[in-house]
Amino acid sequence: MPILLPAFVLGGTGFILGILIFVVSKYFHVEEDHRIDDIEGMLPKYNCGACGYAGCRDMAQGLLAKQAKVEQCKPIKTEAKIALMKHLDELFKSELELKKQ
Amino acid sequence: MSIGALISLAFTALIIENVILTQFLGICPFLGVSKKRSSALGMGMAVVAVIVISSIITYVLYHGVLAPLEIEYMRTIVFILVIAALVQMVELVVKKISPALYKALGIYLPLITTNCAVLGVAIININKEFNFIQMLVYSTFVSLGFLLVIYLFSMLREKIDSAPVPKAFKGTPIALIVAAILAMIFSRFGGLI
Repeated sequence: MPILLPAFVLGGTGFILGILIFVVSKYFHVEEDHRIDDIEGMLPKYNCGACGYAGCRDMAQGLLAKQAKVEQCKPIKTEAKIALMKHLDELFKSELELKKQ
Repeated sequence: MSIGALISLAFTALIIENVILTQFLGICPFLGVSKKRSSALGMGMAVVAVIVISSIITYVLYHGVLAPLEIEYMRTIVFILVIAALVQMVELVVKKISPALYKALGIYLPLITTNCAVLGVAIININKEFNFIQMLVYSTFVSLGFLLVIYLFSMLREKIDSAPVPKAFKGTPIALIVAAILAMIFSRFGGLI
């Protein structure tokens, strides 16, 4: 079955490289703000760039820094938009309360 | 292979057949990340690391796996796989070691994957039938040539920023003109060896 040989070679290379990337990502893991992950999870994740940011993760950072508005995201669905706005409101409110204390 | 031949190969790779200015590979980061000297240097170093490591891995893969199995036609796809994985790893390492550089390079860091200089060097190494030492010298000096030119160009662009450029030429147009003049200068090195 000579046709399977290239598939095995490519698959094997990919498998080894995948393991290597996994090892490197464990070794060079960077702890990041989990709030960015939460906001990014609520964005559409198309990375379309219509908001003016380089991707959804960049946009999430902008939202957290209060530099961006949810309206800038064009492809987001209405329900998701409302949920995201609520989430951001709660986040900023709890921040304010923390500052007051 | 004598030392003299290796030196002439290194010089050819660095100046005479400069990867950007005479082979016109890797133009995207050359224009995109040359606005500031520090980010140009960072980009150059990242490309040097990716080219040298990917050349070694692809060379070993080609001569150790693809050629004995007589599936040389798989080289493009296997090389791209290796390069993409390497860039992922470099990105992770840069993110950990230098967050400032990670931010400065931005989208251009994952775009090293599509930097044709990386795949170009890997394929030239095979096409020119280099042995291992020649391959090592060639890929190191080609990537150093990339670093040299992108750094030179970023210094020129910093100077141009404070020069009285006509309004229509501000920004990228004048950068392209400067790049063209640089390319003309480098093409004259062709008569050296």
